[in-house]
Amino acid sequence: MMGSIQSLGRVGLNVLERLGRGSLFLFNTLAGFWSVLKRPRLLIAQLFSVGVLSFLIILVSGLFVGMVMALQGYNTLIDFGAEESLGVAVALSIVRELGPVVTALLFAGRAGSALTAEIGLMKATEQLSGMEMMAVDPIHRIIAPRFFAGIISMPILATIFSAIGILGGYLVGVELLGVDAGAYWSQMQAKVDWNGDVINGIIKSIVFGFTVSWIAVFEGYDAIPTSEGVSRATTRTVVHSAFAILGLDFLLTALMFD
Amino acid sequence: MKNETTLDDVLVTVQDLRFSRGSRLIFDGLELKIPRGKITAIMGPSGTGKTTLLKIIGGQLKPDAGSIEIDGQDLGSLNRKGLYTLRQRMGMLFQSGALLTDINVFDNVAFPLREHTDLPEFMIRDLVLMKLHAVGLRGAWDLYPSELSGGMARRAALARAIALDPMMIMYDEPFTGQDPISMGVIVELIKLLNDALGLTSIIVSHDVQETISIADYLYIISGGKVIEHGTPEALGRSDSKWTRQFLDGLSDGPVPFHYPATPYQEDLLGKREAAS
Amino acid sequence: MKSKSLELLVGLFMAIGLAALFFLAMKVSNLSSLGQSDGYQVTARFDNIGGLKVRSPVMVSGVRVGQVTDIEYDNERYEAVVSLELDGEYRQFPDDTAVSIFTAGLLGEQYVALEPGGSEEYWEEGAEAELTQSAIILEQLISKFLFSKASDTIEE
Repeated sequence: MMGSIQSLGRVGLNVLERLGRGSLFLFNTLAGFWSVLKRPRLLIAQLFSVGVLSFLIILVSGLFVGMVMALQGYNTLIDFGAEESLGVAVALSIVRELGPVVTALLFAGRAGSALTAEIGLMKATEQLSGMEMMAVDPIHRIIAPRFFAGIISMPILATIFSAIGILGGYLVGVELLGVDAGAYWSQMQAKVDWNGDVINGIIKSIVFGFTVSWIAVFEGYDAIPTSEGVSRATTRTVVHSAFAILGLDFLLTALMFD
Repeated sequence: MKNETTLDDVLVTVQDLRFSRGSRLIFDGLELKIPRGKITAIMGPSGTGKTTLLKIIGGQLKPDAGSIEIDGQDLGSLNRKGLYTLRQRMGMLFQSGALLTDINVFDNVAFPLREHTDLPEFMIRDLVLMKLHAVGLRGAWDLYPSELSGGMARRAALARAIALDPMMIMYDEPFTGQDPISMGVIVELIKLLNDALGLTSIIVSHDVQETISIADYLYIISGGKVIEHGTPEALGRSDSKWTRQFLDGLSDGPVPFHYPATPYQEDLLGKREAAS
Repeated sequence: MKSKSLELLVGLFMAIGLAALFFLAMKVSNLSSLGQSDGYQVTARFDNIGGLKVRSPVMVSGVRVGQVTDIEYDNERYEAVVSLELDGEYRQFPDDTAVSIFTAGLLGEQYVALEPGGSEEYWEEGAEAELTQSAIILEQLISKFLFSKASDTIEE
């Protein structure tokens, strides 16, 4: 009994300690913003590997999610004779929820895990240490560009996901199932609000981008410098990111769309 | 002590250093003086924290107690900026080389120059080629670290460490895992660079023969303390049992062959009893 | 050379992102109609607005001419005050235009319908509609019908 209480306390202390280290690390990374501004090339290189390389998976997933939404939505709406609202149903669910959330989950799996593995391996092979000894701060030189590239890429990817998803819905709903094209677009335009829906969705994806990038670079930087340590850190990045995304999504949704 | 006379011009002074990792005490009142312009070797068995010592001197780890003074500057009182300025004058050769794996040898050597100077690209090119020539890798400038052998990677890292013409270089186990030829090359290089560039070199190693052949001064550490120090000749005449065991590579002595354990007989018989 | 093509791809990525945002703004959301701020506001008072919501459409002869921008409750007169924004191109509504709340289809959403009157004066910015008709509440309608049926039977 005492043993289990003790180990519970130890786990709690560990969690708090990690949170403290993570926050300090975040402040240092944010302080690296100026050095990133001074070296835009580093940022561009990371935008490529974080953003551009995630483009294809986002494009394909967005298209299929939109197509499935249209198929499912059509079958439900046709019972009420309301299939003209298909565009609204697809657009609202994608712009508000699926766009930001699915993009963030895919991003954590595709780019987040890669970031953790890369930074963890650099740590394991003493590259970060070596950089420090060359009087180059690895947080400014390595971590900060990756972190900010993640924050910038996420809303762009989510926007692309939403746009392509709505087009996918159009393909299935209008071209395949025969919903009137005019109704698809005009109902959508009447019901989707720029501030309330589109901007809020983008705000969500920025928050997710911040969180996932933070988790990914911190897990890499904090990894135990062995091959097992790095593989564990990579797994943790994906799992913790998924929890954080879903939890934050609930919170943000409650705040935004009361 | 008897060799104090050679320690008149000191670059690095370590006083009463204490450091522990978790519950394990690694340094317990370590005292060191590194003479300027010489090759100083710090030797000791594996696991005595030699690499840790280099990281403490480089300011990457903070000691629990004690002071480190480098070229008149107290490491503990330096702020981050001061520490980074000091590090520009220190080079460190990691055991693995620690080359950046996503850029080639040329860019690796150019890395500290590009980070810390505003030199135009053509001057950086000349400087990098000079440093690479010094370690004999000018022809390998466009190879990536994964294409280099262990010895070549260490030489490339050495070229990078001297890129900013530092006042001192720390070598972390430079001879470990090298074939005899590349070992010879590295021994030669350390000596050559030290004399040609007027560097102060600190070598951390447990390879006795190679280290003694080039070191001007030796420290032997064990159990978190300096056991003995002096010139290689002086230590060669030492009658300390511990020093003899380490320098001569004897399997048994003050450092026992066996890891501390319950008596052998008891262990074997006790097991059988428990099993039956 | 290598970094040039890298920059090009990142630039392309950014451009696609911007295009997607433009698409969401113009084709998907109401930003295109939000942009036309040359519309004008008219208020109308109702006893009961039923299920009317902000952003419900305002129609005349089945054509959309604006939307509901605000719904408030007047504590003193015990009425709902609905603000309508009408598009700038429809400025010629007589000031005795009737404002009603109707339902589109059986389960459909509610909308504001305008029926132009015969006055020579037109609505202007901030005008208040004089003739309004509240939403028809299904329960009230049914109970009215039942009561009248019941009283009919009693009379017989």
